[in-house]
Amino acid sequence: MKLLVIEDGKQLAESIVEYLKGEGHQCEVAATVQASMEKIMLYEYDCILLDISLSDGNGLTVLDRLKSKGKTDGVIIISAHDSLDDRIQGLKLGADDYLAKPFHLAELGARVEALIRRKNFQGSNKMVFNELTIDVSAQKVSVHENPLPLTRKEYDLLLFLVSNKGKVVSKNSIAEHLSGDMADMLDNHGFVYAHIKNLKKKLSESGCNDYIKTIYGFGYQWEV
Amino acid sequence: MSKKKLLDKTLQIYLLFSVIVLLISAPLFYFLANEIFIDDADETLQLRRNEFVAYHLPSLKSTDVSLWNAFNRDDKIEENKSKIIRDSIFYQFHFDSLANENEPYRVLISPLTIEKKPYLFIAHINLIESDDMIKGIALLFVLILSTLLTGLYFITKYLSAHLWKPFYSTVEKVERFELDKNIEVDFASSNIEEFSRLNQSVGKLLERNTKSYNNQKEFIENASHELQTPLAIFQAKLDTLAQQLPFTDAIGKTLSDMNDSLTRLARINKNLLLLSKIDNNQFAAGEEISVREVVQKQITFFSEQAETMSITVDAKDLSTCTIKANPTLLEIAISNLLLNAVRHNQVNGSVEIKLGQNKLSVANTGDSPALDEKKIFQRFSLPGSNGGNGLGLAIVKKISDLHGWSIKYAHENKVHIFMLIF
Repeated sequence: MKLLVIEDGKQLAESIVEYLKGEGHQCEVAATVQASMEKIMLYEYDCILLDISLSDGNGLTVLDRLKSKGKTDGVIIISAHDSLDDRIQGLKLGADDYLAKPFHLAELGARVEALIRRKNFQGSNKMVFNELTIDVSAQKVSVHENPLPLTRKEYDLLLFLVSNKGKVVSKNSIAEHLSGDMADMLDNHGFVYAHIKNLKKKLSESGCNDYIKTIYGFGYQWEV
Repeated sequence: MSKKKLLDKTLQIYLLFSVIVLLISAPLFYFLANEIFIDDADETLQLRRNEFVAYHLPSLKSTDVSLWNAFNRDDKIEENKSKIIRDSIFYQFHFDSLANENEPYRVLISPLTIEKKPYLFIAHINLIESDDMIKGIALLFVLILSTLLTGLYFITKYLSAHLWKPFYSTVEKVERFELDKNIEVDFASSNIEEFSRLNQSVGKLLERNTKSYNNQKEFIENASHELQTPLAIFQAKLDTLAQQLPFTDAIGKTLSDMNDSLTRLARINKNLLLLSKIDNNQFAAGEEISVREVVQKQITFFSEQAETMSITVDAKDLSTCTIKANPTLLEIAISNLLLNAVRHNQVNGSVEIKLGQNKLSVANTGDSPALDEKKIFQRFSLPGSNGGNGLGLAIVKKISDLHGWSIKYAHENKVHIFMLIF
């Protein structure tokens, strides 16, 4: 998939590109409103990551132009100003998602995956990984075409890991992903561990291979 | 010590002084009046004697003496039997059988000669009875005193109502002043120099305070904003670094510790930003929300958290409670309280959540001794043990203040209780 990262922080942009490239995406970078405008006029992107505060203006003008030209590129706003106004304004202008800085790359990866899936597979939105199938629109999981009942948290966890397949995902990013709005959470790694354990158990009981690898001390990896 | 109003105090001093002055001056007045009166009486007596000597004595014969005495009540002529040679004036009391009392008299005895025989001229003058005079003076002074008292009382009332009005208005405004509300205080102008000076200096003081408060607020907000970008880079780099598999367990542990610290740093920063935003009124006014729903929504999550720490969560006693509040902030306040209750708990402890008509209480067991109620709601007042960032309760307090609620803390039987009263 083709992605455009609009971000004037060079170092951050580099890391984002490196991470997303690893997931098989093709990434381009633009650091200014000017450069972004040129790129969006010339090419189509599956997903655009848009920083609001750019050196030569407000990133929202890019979004505005995009929408006024009738482009359907998916847009995720990444902003250091986590204000409700920015969020509302961004979503009103037609952004698909909003992510406040600082964020975990795994979280960004999951959001990008979700957005691309939504854009590209109208109707049947399914993720297939060997014997495992995740029907994202119905929020159902099946192994070897047998339904596998999961709790809401286990489902979220599975989707998060699969969206970042092949990547090392930290416990912290999982904890934050699962606590959602209650992000100011306990440093309760026991909680993450408990969910991982349950998920692994259910997957193996249903005949799914053990793809979840524990990276000692740090987190987990969905092995490809 | 009970506080008195300044005017009452001055009034009291005025009154005390007036009473003392009057008490001292009353006897003085009595003696002075008495003296003048006696002097006058003596002069009258002497005048009468002189008149007698000048007009009557030359033609008076000794045979006429008894006749004279019969027709003059106050001036008598007697033979000078005791050979008095000098004039003398003295007091004398005569019993008045009609009034049945002793009447004071001033008497002048003056020797003279009628037809070469020694006689005495005795003149009487009736004096005012001294107790009558005392009564009169006392009455007069009581009258003066009461006039003075009522006068002073009403003058004080008047002064208090009119003259001191600007002062009380200033005091009231200062009392109502709240640093974080950012409302300008406008003191009414006064044409009295002292009050005008007071208003000016208080105005300047408030202005300086507001300014430094705003500076501080701005600084925190800017600092937090500026920190977001490097934090984001740090996080991204750390996540990128973690992809460099394989790494040893020691590296994994180090990366994890770094990640934990970074997460904590990011949370502190996020909470500082939140505090600034609340201070800057960046949250829209309230809407009707069911507190019960908010609590129930969060309890699922926290129960799950608590379970992994062997803590039981009891939230059976939840009444319906609807309040007007900003939904985001209410959620944050409640989640911070629940978070603390779980975080600062002990193994096999419990959390009890109760919701009344207008009161939410969160009680948790915990080893720590009673907390200092004066400090707990201040930023970073509690060391960040157990992964806390020292801002949770400060945020709850801020949210509570913003909505006009009150937050209370109690410690009973090793149970910490936080109450949010709407």
